[in-house]
Amino acid sequence: MNTPPISGLDPCVHCGFCLQACPTYLATGDESDSPRGRIVLMRSLARGSLSTTEPTLAFHLDRCLGCLACEPVCPSDVRYGTALEATRALIAQSRPVPLVARMVNAVMADRRLRRPLLGLARLVRPVAGVLAGQSRLGFAFGMLRATENGQRWGKQGQKTEKASLPAPSASSAPSALLFTGCIMEGLFSHVHEATHRTLSANGYRSTRVPHQGCCGALHAHTGEHDKAVDLARRNVAAFADCPESVIAVNSAGCGAMLKEYGRLLAGDPLEPEAVALSQRVRDVSQLLASRETRRGHTLALKVAYDPPCHLLHAQRIADAPRALLASIPGIEMVQHRDAAMCCGSAGSYSLTQVGLSRTVLEDKVNALIAADPDVVATGNPGCIMQIGAGLAAVGSSIPVVHPIEILDWSYAMAGFYDE
Amino acid sequence: MIPPEVLAALKAAVGPQWVKDARAELDTYATDGLPTHRSLPGAAVIPGRKDELLQVIRILHHHRIPAVARGAGTGLSGGALASGDAVLVVLTRLNRILKIDAENRRAVVEPGVVNTRLSAAAEPFGLHYAPDPSSQPACTIGGNVAENAGGPHCLKYGVTTNHILALDVVLPDGELLSLGSPSGEPWGPDLVGLFVGSEGTFGIATEITVKLTPTPTAIRTLLADFTLLRSAGQAVTSIIAAGFVPAALEILDHNTIAAVEASIYRAGYPTDAGAVLLVELDGMDELAVEAEASQVEDLLESAGARSIQLASDPAKREKLWHGRKKAFGAMGRLGSDLVVQDAVVPRSKLPDVLDQIGEIGERYSISLCNVFHAGDGNLHPNIAFDQTDPDLAERVRRASTDIVRLCIEAGGTITGEHGVGTDKMHYMPLVYDADTLGAMNRIRHVFDPLELANPGKVLPVHSCRG
Ligand SMILES: Cc1cc2nc3c(=O)[nH]c(=O)nc-3n(C[C@H](O)[C@H](O)[C@H](O)COP(=O)(O)OP(=O)(O)OC[C@H]3O[C@@H](n4cnc5c(N)ncnc54)[C@H](O)[C@@H]3O)c2cc1C
Ligand code: SF4
Ligand code: SF4
Repeated sequence: MNTPPISGLDPCVHCGFCLQACPTYLATGDESDSPRGRIVLMRSLARGSLSTTEPTLAFHLDRCLGCLACEPVCPSDVRYGTALEATRALIAQSRPVPLVARMVNAVMADRRLRRPLLGLARLVRPVAGVLAGQSRLGFAFGMLRATENGQRWGKQGQKTEKASLPAPSASSAPSALLFTGCIMEGLFSHVHEATHRTLSANGYRSTRVPHQGCCGALHAHTGEHDKAVDLARRNVAAFADCPESVIAVNSAGCGAMLKEYGRLLAGDPLEPEAVALSQRVRDVSQLLASRETRRGHTLALKVAYDPPCHLLHAQRIADAPRALLASIPGIEMVQHRDAAMCCGSAGSYSLTQVGLSRTVLEDKVNALIAADPDVVATGNPGCIMQIGAGLAAVGSSIPVVHPIEILDWSYAMAGFYDE
Repeated sequence: MIPPEVLAALKAAVGPQWVKDARAELDTYATDGLPTHRSLPGAAVIPGRKDELLQVIRILHHHRIPAVARGAGTGLSGGALASGDAVLVVLTRLNRILKIDAENRRAVVEPGVVNTRLSAAAEPFGLHYAPDPSSQPACTIGGNVAENAGGPHCLKYGVTTNHILALDVVLPDGELLSLGSPSGEPWGPDLVGLFVGSEGTFGIATEITVKLTPTPTAIRTLLADFTLLRSAGQAVTSIIAAGFVPAALEILDHNTIAAVEASIYRAGYPTDAGAVLLVELDGMDELAVEAEASQVEDLLESAGARSIQLASDPAKREKLWHGRKKAFGAMGRLGSDLVVQDAVVPRSKLPDVLDQIGEIGERYSISLCNVFHAGDGNLHPNIAFDQTDPDLAERVRRASTDIVRLCIEAGGTITGEHGVGTDKMHYMPLVYDADTLGAMNRIRHVFDPLELANPGKVLPVHSCRG
């Protein structure tokens, strides 16, 4: 197995500015659970003074969410995320990736496994709400329930007012290729449809390319470096056929990974195409907010926007999703405390690190409940499921949806799709 | 090595997962904010409640094992370092704000509360905790107390010691002591004043009663840039001489500006300047502050400022400040190791001393970054370098010593706010004679006769007489 070198840590001056941004350090107060402490561990590993078989090394690195909240606050521009991935790949050589993570990774990477399994999940989904709860199983049902189409909640905000602005002309329409992913395709097809509709309503020609698949983020983050490279190569090839179009991504985790393809495929024959792909990636909120977003029907809803870490910290996209939501007539944005903190989802982390994941989630849930929104919006499937399950576990019925879904409700009511 | 029975007792006291003795984990506790000093502790314990902390100290005292307190580990003098025969007592989990008494403008906190979190909690009442070390988003109030931390705004509001009303302290033998009184002046000697700045050598603060300060409503921040560092120093002297007490007076020199502007905390400082001077004026009266600002502007101009930016809205102000507060971190881009100096000189000597520091840098051909609290004459000549180059490391060491000697000769001293710790202990005999050091040592023994609290720090024992 190939592993990339551990790099990017040298500029760390041990100043500690990253400490209070780190959800795991806040949860435990243990330096070894902090970015600065993990950097010490990773540097020792790189220098050879620590071996991958040292159990406490794996223990504290496994507990890292990979949320990257430590990167934007670092004045020295330490590349924590890159080093973390390299370290995990190295650890994976001497110790198997945790079973649950391996199972998730295997299912997501392979359409033949993913299709039937997620199909089964969809069959169970209608009753998931009833089974949602605090136990491990109840939490899993809560996650599944959160993947439901949020359409019915949109109805609450319905008002009888007519829409503004005519449809933009389709002549000069730029084209956007939808990145379909794995879990998004299997459980969030309604978000894909909403993305397609809202992009079209804003003058984009939205299409899909065949042969694309899972982005490989789950694999890269858990140390399955080679598998991530395979998946990246497949996507690079799939999108190389339409080199002019931007790639519209509605899952923050996938977007962050796709933007890293250039680095992931460094030295690979496909590197130039990978670099080009990375540059074409746009979060759907950026595409919509970059032009004047078409205004739909009034929705009288209080919305709390929770920024996904892989949008806010990894891609540094803070304003576009808010601007998009704020463009919807009638929407009231409510603020919740520590919004920039991770929800504890972090790919398969919520399954492998149940205790810490729930501790981190608890703060998020309490903050959201205190802000009392009608709906929570966040642009990443893992976060939708995690926060959704967290709210359900404490008996809250606040729905969690993708921001694009709210725009879509507003457009549907405005009759934009009846034309 | 910490004996197994002691580890077992500690685990029983705080829970096994909160006692760290694996080599890799201890590695993460081997340095504070000054990574040029390293020491592997024998163990690290993270108590979650005050009673657990007391138990830990009693167990350690019973076995005559030294205890070293640690807050966030942002100290810049190697203060929170423990040797292999000592236990690091980590206070980060004792992070509850116990009371905010807005009416009497005070708060009671556990030692692990992070500085900015306290100010955030006081904000709804129009109050804040005034001492603002640049590390305030990370450092703890306990660490601030131990180091008597200062910060940019301490010029007007005073350093930590001016804001501590009372302390609960656990002595090295496990006895719990209350110092000071939350309501006013206590009887007898000022023990709170004695404890603040004792760098963990008198015991551990377990509960801290602090003063809260009304947050000023009118604020003006000025940024002036100068061709010469010396002129910036002169501007500081003339502002103070004219009778102003700005909330802050901060200087960043050319090299620091370059580092900041290359980092994500880019503040729009002119990169061709010899130095920039940040002046902040504040108060409760818009018109008065406005008038002061324009007078200071005139002074800056006559001191030779090339350009002056004035920021009144919070976003712009914050940006001007951000560069200053993150300057130290931004220096990580210049070299993997950093020597952080903290000398103080009389304010009037600033221009000359700055020139001479520049000459020292040239003499040893090292890259010096000056960023400092100019209003207090508190200098931070920092040197970014690469420790793996032994020749360079030696030049850096010699330059540092020369700078310290220079400041002492100018009538200054070796530390303004970072403390002595391990890093500056060998400078102590340069400022104090053996009798004075001996007297300090005797005071320490009143609190800690067995030398179990942060031993081997601050006082160079072999230089103490009596
Ligand atoms: C980027 C950066 C900027 C800085 N800027 C400033 C500045 O502007 N002004 C300034 O003054 N300092 C500054 N510092 C230094 C440092 O942040 C302060 O000294 C701070 O007070 C240390 O707090 P801490 O919680 O990190 O303490 P630590 O580093 O963990 O400990 C410092 C010392 O305090 C002792 N200690 C900790 N807690 C207790 C307790 N509860 N009871 C008794 N002893 C205790 C320790 O034993 C140790 O000796 C800066 C540091 C950095 C990294
Ligand atoms: S903020 Fe950056 S430089 Fe400072 S300790 Fe964290 S990673 Fe290191
Ligand atoms: S990625 Fe997140 S959890 Fe991991 S060290 Fe950084 S801030 Fe902490």
